Amino acid sequence: MTKTYRASAGIMLTPAVALIGVFILLPMLLTIWLSFQDWSTQTPFDAAVFVGFDNFREIFGSTSIGRDFTGALLNTALYTLMSVALILPLSVAFGLMVYQRSVAGGTMLRTVLFSTYMVPMIAVALVWSKLYSPTEGPLNQMLGLIGIGPQPWLSSPSTALMSIVFLNVWQQVGYFTVLAVAGLTQIPGSLYEAAEIEGANPWQQFWAITLPLLKRTLLFSAVIAIINAVQVFEPVALITQGGPVGSTNVLTYHIRRVGIERAQGGLGSAMAVTLMLSLIVVISAVFAFINRRDDE
Amino acid sequence: MKLTSRLRHAIAAGLALMPAAAWAEPVNISYLTHWSPETVALLETAAKEFAKTNPDVTVTVRAVPFGDLLTTLRSQGGGGEGATIAGIYDLWLPELVRDKLVAPAPEAVAGEVKGAWPAGVVSAASVGGALYGIPNEIDVYALNYNKALFKEAGIAAPPKTWDELKDAAKKLTKKDAGQQGFGMINSWAAGVVHPFASLLVSNGGELVTDGKPALDSKQAGETFQLYEDLIKSGVSDPSMATADANTTGPFLDNFVSGKTGMIIMANWWESALKNGMGDKFSNIATAPIPVGPSGDKPRSISYSWMTVVNAGASETQQKAAWDFLAWLNSPKSGQNGGSAMSGILMSMGILPSRSSDVEAYKDKLGSEFLAGYVGVLADAKPFPVVLGGQEFSESLQQTLEALQYGQVSAKDAQKNAQADATSILERAAKK
Amino acid sequence: MSAEALTGTTAWLPRKRASGGRALLATLMLLVAVASAFPLVWMVLSSLKTTAETMQVPPVWLPRTPNLEAYEKVAGVVNVGRSMWNSLIIASITTAGILLTSMMAGYAFAKYRFRGRTLLFSVLIATMFLPPIVTLIPLYRMVGSMGLSTSLAGVILPNLANAFGIFLMRQFIAGVPDDLIDAARVDGASELLILFKIVMPSIAPAIAALALFAFVYHWNSYLWPLTVLQGNSENYPIVISLSRLLSYNRGAMNTGLVMAGATLAVLPPLILFVFLQKFFVDSIVGSGVKG
Repeated sequence: MTKTYRASAGIMLTPAVALIGVFILLPMLLTIWLSFQDWSTQTPFDAAVFVGFDNFREIFGSTSIGRDFTGALLNTALYTLMSVALILPLSVAFGLMVYQRSVAGGTMLRTVLFSTYMVPMIAVALVWSKLYSPTEGPLNQMLGLIGIGPQPWLSSPSTALMSIVFLNVWQQVGYFTVLAVAGLTQIPGSLYEAAEIEGANPWQQFWAITLPLLKRTLLFSAVIAIINAVQVFEPVALITQGGPVGSTNVLTYHIRRVGIERAQGGLGSAMAVTLMLSLIVVISAVFAFINRRDDE
Repeated sequence: MKLTSRLRHAIAAGLALMPAAAWAEPVNISYLTHWSPETVALLETAAKEFAKTNPDVTVTVRAVPFGDLLTTLRSQGGGGEGATIAGIYDLWLPELVRDKLVAPAPEAVAGEVKGAWPAGVVSAASVGGALYGIPNEIDVYALNYNKALFKEAGIAAPPKTWDELKDAAKKLTKKDAGQQGFGMINSWAAGVVHPFASLLVSNGGELVTDGKPALDSKQAGETFQLYEDLIKSGVSDPSMATADANTTGPFLDNFVSGKTGMIIMANWWESALKNGMGDKFSNIATAPIPVGPSGDKPRSISYSWMTVVNAGASETQQKAAWDFLAWLNSPKSGQNGGSAMSGILMSMGILPSRSSDVEAYKDKLGSEFLAGYVGVLADAKPFPVVLGGQEFSESLQQTLEALQYGQVSAKDAQKNAQADATSILERAAKK
Repeated sequence: MSAEALTGTTAWLPRKRASGGRALLATLMLLVAVASAFPLVWMVLSSLKTTAETMQVPPVWLPRTPNLEAYEKVAGVVNVGRSMWNSLIIASITTAGILLTSMMAGYAFAKYRFRGRTLLFSVLIATMFLPPIVTLIPLYRMVGSMGLSTSLAGVILPNLANAFGIFLMRQFIAGVPDDLIDAARVDGASELLILFKIVMPSIAPAIAALALFAFVYHWNSYLWPLTVLQGNSENYPIVISLSRLLSYNRGAMNTGLVMAGATLAVLPPLILFVFLQKFFVDSIVGSGVKG
């Protein structure tokens, strides 16, 4: 590359690289460093005292710190798993509904589905907390109409987390539906024509053609869904505060409570590092899984 | 020598006598609170009153939801941009002092507070003998019950002992009508822990003795057992007990709509009850906490709020802040010999703690609802104000909620609670 | 850009569909649409009810006489104008920053060859997978030590560059023909001029999509502004001001109020979306196709 272009590359890259470097990479490194320190979030960085792996030992230990953290880790894992398990199939199903041409209204459906992604999470959380109200909410009322008894939703440790999963899925499924439609668009129609000539019915066509060719899209969707799920905050902060009995205590909420409210910066950072490592492992596993299926 | 020093003294005296306004520069201070907008309006009116005699001081009020108050305080990190004054819950004081976020009160203020407030409240606002805040509200717990439901169930008087409590609760429970005899609370630390603590102290027990948790006592064991009994016998339904970030929610709604017979709650929810029930509010009465088998007399748990000053604010700001607070809490600022602060508190149905304020509002405090609370104030034990107190509360909350939902037995709940509390308080004290 | 146009066929589903099958499909689609829209419709309806109606058990669905009393109350609690203004400032300045930095960096990654290009790109893209909570604690202290605590600048600054934006821009700029760019270079145009006068118009839909995405995301952003702004309600964006509604009146009667507030918060991003959704959806589809 000639000198002028090198200079231009420099100019073009500097703003983005500098901003991301300073405001994302640097804090990330700081978090890793802080996870090995005993540090109060109220104090400047130089007040940190090195304690090796103590923070990690504590968060996986048997005291209330450890129990709360492993609980939060588990809740987050469960939440993520349930979200992804619901979002992926629904997005494909809805995607097919939007994409097909034999019944009108696909575009309308796409608009309605996608619009929920634009809604601020706080509005979603507030509205659903009222929908879920055991006595004043319409959900239990509707269940009653079809003969199912009132559900505790957010009031019981066994149903609270799932209730938040539903809320999350509702908000995001539109986005993933559009992704699925994009994936469907890339499947050549000729494949279906050929299959039809050979006498394959729609169900067989789906499993033999649609699903395998959607793999890359599903991979992308899965990764994004996982990242989004891990970030859930508003419903927990505004409605459940981690309860009842810590059943909705998820990592984002817990790290904020420990790291900022209790000012236990070292512990909070150790938790954040653990989250980061878990994500790397999970996302790599998802990639590996898909690629392995590819080779088969 | 003598002449110059006398001269210096003369000049100092002269300066002190000059009107403050002549030397003043405008000072902006902010007041951080969780109060609702109507209450904030009252505070702002008081600030304007203050400005009449102190034109150089402007007070702005910053309001956040209660759930965010502690985090907001902590996020301020001792910077000058943080709020100058903050209304805090006494449990938070020890850590704020340890982290040097709040400033000790000047001598004059400390002297006045020590003289005008009951000793227990003053000690909750002090750390290591130094006063850090001016106490304002005091909150205490009592048994709230629905007289109409009692009449319906044929119960003549509110229960005085735990056996009577269990009995009354049984009579008041109607499963098919969705009515529970005794309401508990969950998803909110104070709502879970304080009623439990009130029952504990009415059973002759303590939460913390000499800085060490006392949850392994026989009295505590009986209290955990009481909870297990109430849940197992079906007179208390945990799914009716949820609270949200605003300290409202199903637990409140159920009592308001007459689906809960009895519940232990603090005095400040009076306005919520009045708003929700309208005329039916006259059905509500209060009584002392029922006494347990190991207790001698009904006791309650109290906690207080206070206003503190940001140690990171400038000197002029701090001085202005203390001046404002001293005025706000003095008999000069309100009506009838009460302070402006007490006027604000009484508008929310909250008990003021300053002795002169309690005098000034004798009538209002004699209302049927509040009289029950004022009566138990004398025998109330303050919730322990120790380092790690908030974390201790939250972990006890977890255990009690697990007990409510039948996830642990009373014995295990006691064991876990004591173990957790010990490790938390130990770790907090180390720092 | 319909699916039909893209694939040139609708043959991926058998043409002769039994009308029973079509009716079933239509019903399903209707159900999904209703389920999707229901919460928002409920929200708007509830905001128009009287307080007594919101507290009724069993719940009443339609307000008998729709009224705006809840909205009046909201205006009394929250400075709606100021909060919306703050949201606008935060969202638009951040979006402008993201567009600028992403275009520039995307251009460099797409059109320049230099040593370490792949490594640098990978490192930047990896940050896309980092949940903000991981950097929250040190970042908020950093912003504090820069003196930007409780300020809008503190909220905006760390978000002015975005890995997803860079990724998107690179994808689309890669599709701009090199000859176009070379021709401009021969004519003596500077690189920045080329970027703005030639590349930008060619990828206009992608830019519109990125702008919409960034704007809505930052309009709705809650955790970071909450952490930076702390108690300074003067600077609160609308989504945080709304959480004040939860504090309103420690009583049980705030449902209508909360619903009215939620409706207000939802309106701007939703309106923006309705007008620009074509760009949005098309670019998501487009980035896949060019993949």
